[in-house]
Amino acid sequence: MTSPSASSRKALSKIACNRLQKELVEWQVNPPAGFKHKVTDNLQRWVIEVNGAPGTLYAGEIYQLQVDFPEHYPMEAPQVIFVPPAPLHPHIYSNGHICLDILYDSWSPAMTVSSICISILSMLSSSTVKQRPADNDRYVKNCKNGRSPKETRWWFHDDKV
Amino acid sequence: MQNQDGHVVESGTETITSIKASEIDDWENFRDDDILQQQSAIQAEEAGKIPFVGDKEPLSSLAAEYKSGNAILVEKINVLTEQYAAIRRTRGDGNCFFRSFMFAYLEHILQTQDRAEVDRITANVEQCRKTLLSLGYAEFTFEDFFGLFLEQLESVLSGTEASISHDELVQRSRDQSISDYVVMFFRFITSGEIRKRSEFFEPFVQGLTNTSVEQFCKSSVEPMGEESDHVHITALSDALGVPIRIVYLDRSCDDKGSVSVNHHDFTPAHVTNASSGATQATKPFINLLYRPGHYDILYPK
Repeated sequence: MTSPSASSRKALSKIACNRLQKELVEWQVNPPAGFKHKVTDNLQRWVIEVNGAPGTLYAGEIYQLQVDFPEHYPMEAPQVIFVPPAPLHPHIYSNGHICLDILYDSWSPAMTVSSICISILSMLSSSTVKQRPADNDRYVKNCKNGRSPKETRWWFHDDKV
Repeated sequence: MQNQDGHVVESGTETITSIKASEIDDWENFRDDDILQQQSAIQAEEAGKIPFVGDKEPLSSLAAEYKSGNAILVEKINVLTEQYAAIRRTRGDGNCFFRSFMFAYLEHILQTQDRAEVDRITANVEQCRKTLLSLGYAEFTFEDFFGLFLEQLESVLSGTEASISHDELVQRSRDQSISDYVVMFFRFITSGEIRKRSEFFEPFVQGLTNTSVEQFCKSSVEPMGEESDHVHITALSDALGVPIRIVYLDRSCDDKGSVSVNHHDFTPAHVTNASSGATQATKPFINLLYRPGHYDILYPK
């Protein structure tokens, strides 16, 4: 996705900027296992490298997450997608959009980029089958206009893949 | 929705609502962004009708609402009128309990200038900060919310540089960048208290949702817009040491058909009188009206 979503187009508020700087420092001191933040000078878009956990279907595979922060982060959720090629997973669409409740309705300001990463890795690790969601083609076609996953009304699948 | 007269709704909404029911046989025709646009139009309409915190209204405005409604409710409002003078409505956005508590508490301090109470709650807030740290929350996730609440608390005391008027308090309660942060502060406090005393809260949580305390806090306490139940109220009242009275306005009546208005006082586990040091049952100064699914602020006579 090259076009930023509607929610991340506006510059970060002062409070969001402050919070993100603190999060970045915390990440550098204590990064979640299996993730690497790729350093850029853009605080509003983080690109994070994900390593599939050993002993899971994604062991040895490397993916990239793109995290875009809205003006009112952390009151509003960041937009989190995989940069294609996205992992083959029943809750991950081929355009990189992820069906995970904490990224949308269940987001809370108590969460952090780090806690999102841990949830995504746990979602990958618990998968027993490598396949796309059943409605992948229709969904991806509907997103052709570059719309954000935050503009989707998600119907969350079962926790167990 | 008031789309009949066509004044309130956004144009995007009209295209959906004007379709005849018989034509709605394929929901796939509705794109998610259309539906989301409609949802935000409804939210905007809701916001236009009632701000986060409304103006103080005489209780007769509540009676007017039920004028030709259920007889039990009408009778109960009559009973309510004997004890209460006014109501202040809050927006029904899932945050109404916390928002009502916020306003009622800050207004109480503004009017009483009770510095002992401010010192007491400040000590409790510090305790809550330690609770969250011991539960493993990173300080940067909650410190901005704590800071903003303490700032509001400071500002309702007179004689400081930051002092504000009652009008300004109303304005701030309607300003999303302050109001939502204070609501979120209370959500942190509530979640911390429930997790800290998870053994105590577990049976109540199970009665509500059949999930673990941890999961309950994650999905029903910490996200904005999640409605509050007696578990939230108990935890907030205990953590901050502030008694809360909830007056119930529902259709229930006793066997004989006589009508009385029930209330429940949430009394914090350890309320101590700051001056005497004695434990005593304090009469709640926070009075909220509960109608199924919603809380507003009540003012006693």
